[in-house]
Amino acid sequence: MDATTVLAEINGNIATVGYGLAAIGPAIGVGIVVGKTIEGVARQPELAGRLQVLMWIGIAFTEALAFIGIATYFIFV
Amino acid sequence: MNDARAEADRTPTSNPVLRRALAWGAVLAGVILVVSAVLGFVFAGVPGLLGGLIGTLMAVVFMGITAASILAANRFASSDLFVGAFFGIVLGGWILKFIVFIVLVVVLRDAEWLNPTVLFLSLVAGVLASLVVDVLVVAKSRLPYVSDVELPKAPSED
Repeated sequence: MDATTVLAEINGNIATVGYGLAAIGPAIGVGIVVGKTIEGVARQPELAGRLQVLMWIGIAFTEALAFIGIATYFIFV
Repeated sequence: MNDARAEADRTPTSNPVLRRALAWGAVLAGVILVVSAVLGFVFAGVPGLLGGLIGTLMAVVFMGITAASILAANRFASSDLFVGAFFGIVLGGWILKFIVFIVLVVVLRDAEWLNPTVLFLSLVAGVLASLVVDVLVVAKSRLPYVSDVELPKAPSED
């Protein structure tokens, strides 16, 4: 067995990498959304209510991709 | 003066919007539940029906947990630890939700009694529908800029 074959050998299901990717994206997205909300509330605490709604809609869109990405486990063999 | 400030309602103005989004999300979930169950039954029999029901429920419940967690966290609005409690509850709820979701996906994947394809499709439909509801509710909401502000009282005569 030559070196390239040894290096390229992968055990287990490659779909596992997909779950990792489906977790990275939303983690970064929600981190940015929440961090910016904290910034905004720190600058203008009286806008907390408005900023919460914007944060919530941002989280909703970000996590929608995560749900669909993780749920692809149902259809990909 | 200090007592009056302490007693003032500090609940953020986002509560009515989030409540409305949850209510309309529940209404739309009922519609999608019926449609996906009927379509699943037509195309895949009883396993399709169960897949449609569970997929829609998973989508709507897990998407609704964010708004519910914000509503729950806003109950601590008058606390000194509000900011920490708020982000702790919202983000803690978020990560718990995803752990439960991944466990559910792994458990339901090999279940014989439901159709995974119908489940996936109805889950995507539920997620998209709940996004549509969220955007519509926010677009139609009226959020005052200044309602969290306590205006100074007129000085009393005595």
